[in-house]
Amino acid sequence: MFRILKKSLKTGVVTGQHPVAAPLVEASTSEAKHKAKPFRSSLAFRAVDTGSCNACEMEMNALANPVYDIERFGIHIAASPRHADALVVTGPVTVNMERALKDVYKHTPDPKIVIALGDCAINCGMFKGSYAVTGPVERHIPIDVRIPGCPPRPSEILTALTELRKAGN
Amino acid sequence: MAETRFYDEELKAAFPLIVQDEAAKGEFSHFLVPKDLLPAITHHLHTQPSLHGRLTLLWAVDNRPIRDTYGLHYLFTLESSHHWVVLSAELAGDDRLFPSITPHVHAAKWYEREIRDMFGLIPQGHPDLRRLIRHEHWPKGAHPLKKDFPWDRVLGRQQGEHHFRHIEGEGVFEVPVGPIHAGIIESGHFRFSVAGEPIMQLELHHFWKHRGVEKLFEQQELIAAVALAERVSGDTTVGHSLAYCQAVEALLHLNVPRRGRYLRSLFLELERLHNHLGDVGAICNDTAYALPHAHCGRMKEQIMQLNDRLTGSRFLRGVNRVGGVTVDLTGVQLAEIVAELDRIEKDFSELETIIGSNASLIDRLETAGVLTERTAWDHAVVGVVGRASGLDQDLRRDRPFAAYDELRVRVVTYRYGDVRARMRVRMDEIHESMRLVREVSVKIPQGPVAVEPSRRPKAGEWTLSTVEGWRGEIVYMVMAGENGNIHRCKVRDPSFVNWPAIQWAVLGNIIPDFPLINKSFSLSYAGNDL
Repeated sequence: MFRILKKSLKTGVVTGQHPVAAPLVEASTSEAKHKAKPFRSSLAFRAVDTGSCNACEMEMNALANPVYDIERFGIHIAASPRHADALVVTGPVTVNMERALKDVYKHTPDPKIVIALGDCAINCGMFKGSYAVTGPVERHIPIDVRIPGCPPRPSEILTALTELRKAGN
Repeated sequence: MAETRFYDEELKAAFPLIVQDEAAKGEFSHFLVPKDLLPAITHHLHTQPSLHGRLTLLWAVDNRPIRDTYGLHYLFTLESSHHWVVLSAELAGDDRLFPSITPHVHAAKWYEREIRDMFGLIPQGHPDLRRLIRHEHWPKGAHPLKKDFPWDRVLGRQQGEHHFRHIEGEGVFEVPVGPIHAGIIESGHFRFSVAGEPIMQLELHHFWKHRGVEKLFEQQELIAAVALAERVSGDTTVGHSLAYCQAVEALLHLNVPRRGRYLRSLFLELERLHNHLGDVGAICNDTAYALPHAHCGRMKEQIMQLNDRLTGSRFLRGVNRVGGVTVDLTGVQLAEIVAELDRIEKDFSELETIIGSNASLIDRLETAGVLTERTAWDHAVVGVVGRASGLDQDLRRDRPFAAYDELRVRVVTYRYGDVRARMRVRMDEIHESMRLVREVSVKIPQGPVAVEPSRRPKAGEWTLSTVEGWRGEIVYMVMAGENGNIHRCKVRDPSFVNWPAIQWAVLGNIIPDFPLINKSFSLSYAGNDL
C-alpha cells in the first residue's frame, strides 16, 4: 500500500503532458455540431473496426491513458452500440465487415453521430480498389465528422472531438 | 555448412526421388519434390529427432504468365541447427489437387485452407475443408490470388452460413462473441461451447478484416511497397517493413551499411518496448487491476512521443526503406533515447515490484490459459507465446538480421505456459530491449545509413526473409515479376500461427478468463486476416 502511494505521489499528474496538436485541417461542419448538441457534456462512443491496420485502434486506446484521459471531458467508450451516442469507424470497410457495420448503425439509437477516424475510413487509404474492400464508410452509412491521418495522433482526435462539442449556434 | 550438407544428404538418401536445387545452397536447402511424396517427406522432417523441423511457412504461387503451373512451397526450420529447408512441388496443367500434409504436420492446417481459398487448389485428405478467408457469402469460384482474378473485381454476394462445430448435450450452450467487441478491439468472432462455467470448446471465426493485402502487393513495384508492408499490422510497423525491405534487398543484392543496420535494430527494439509495456498494463487491467494499466499506459505514451520526436511518426512509419533507413540519429538524439529509457526502466522496475507483490493478481494469472510445450510445438507457435511455453527460439539470436550478429540477445524463456509466464516474458524482454538500445548507442558506427538500389531482379526470382518482431517471427516471401514489379508476396504475421493455439489454451478455463488469456497472447487480427 505504502509502495503504491509512494509511486503515485512520485509520478504526480501527467494529464495533458503531450505535444499540442496541429490545427485541424478539416473542422467539423456546423451541421455536425448541431447534431452533437445533445452530447455536449456527455458523449458515449462505440468503436467499430471495419478493417483497419489497428494503428487507429491503438491511438484510440491511448486516449484513455492518463496522459490524454478522455473521460475528463465526459467522453467515454460504450460497450455496446445500443448504449452509444456516436460510432467511431476505422478501416476501409471490408466485404466481410460490410454487413456488421450496417447492423451496428441500425442498432445505435437516434440521434447519433458517425465519426470516420483515419484515412482508410475516409477514402480507403492504401486499400482503395481492392476486391476485398467495399468502402469507404460513407458508401454504407452517413458520416458527420472526419478525422484524417494515418493514423491521427491522439491529440488530434481529442482536438476534433472537443471542437465538435464546442458551444456554437 | 558441413553440418548442412549432412542434413541434405540424409534427406536425399531417405527419398531418392527428390532433386536438390543447387542454386539456393547459401541461404537454405531447396528440394524439388514430386507432389505425392510431400506427406512422407514433411512427416520425416517434422518427426525425425535429428531434424526436428518446424513448419515455418507454406505458400502457393500462381506461376502464370511465366509458366503455366502452380507452385507449392514448404519452409521448415530445423530446430537443432536453425537451418532452413524448402520443399517445392508443382501442379501442372489442369491439376488442382495436392495431398494434404495436415494429418502429419498439424501446423499446416490453416495454411492449406488458405491456399484452397486463395488459389482454388484442393488439399486432399485435409480434415477440415470449410472456408477460412472467403466467408460463406463470397461467390463460388472466387479465388483472388489466381492471376486471372482482377485485383479490383467487385465481389458478388451469395447466401451462405458458416457451420460451427457443435457440442450437444444437456446443459451445453454456445456463447457467440463478436465480430464487434465491447472494448476497442479489432474485429473477430469467437464461439464458445460451455457447460456451466468451464469452456469445453472454442472455435475461432476470423478473417473479417481481410483487405486483400497480398493481391495489393502484386500491383506494386518492389521498392515502393514498403508503405503497404507497414500497414499490414499497424502495431508492428517496423517489424513488417523491415522483413519486407530485407527480402527486396536480397533480391536486389543490396548490402545495407552497418549504421543503417544498427538503426534498424534500434527502431525494432523501440517498437518492442512500447508494445510490451502496453501489454503488461493491459493484462493487469483485464483482471480489473487498473493501477499498473495507468502506469504502463503512461510509459508507453512516453516511448511513442519519443518515437514522434525522433522520426515524426508515433509508429515509426516511413523509417525503413529498401537499402537502409530514411532517418539518421545524431549523438544528441541517441543520448536522449538512452536517458529516456533509463528513466522508464527505473520507473518500470518500481512498478514490477508492485505487480509482483500483489498476491490476488498473481493468483489470477497463474495456471490461467496454460499452453503446454507439446501443444505449442504442434502448432509451431512462435514468439512471446512460444517462449512462455518453453520453446527456446528467437530469430535475433538464431538467424541474426539487422545488427543482431553484433549484438548478443539474451533469450527469455519460461516453462509454465500460463498467463503469468507470458507476462513475465514481456517484462524480462522490456529490460533486455533497453539493454540492447544502450548497447546500440555505444557500438553504433559512423557512416551512411542507406544505399541506392541499382539492379533489377529477373522475373521469377524469389527470396525469404524473417524478422523477430515484438510478437514473434514475421516471415516474408517476395517473388519478383516483370519490370521490377512484385509477382507474389506472401506475408505471415506471427498471429496467423498463434491464433489456432489459443483454442487449446482456453480449454477448461472459465469465460471471464478468456479476455485475460486473449490479451496475454496479444495477437493481431489485421496481420492474421491480411
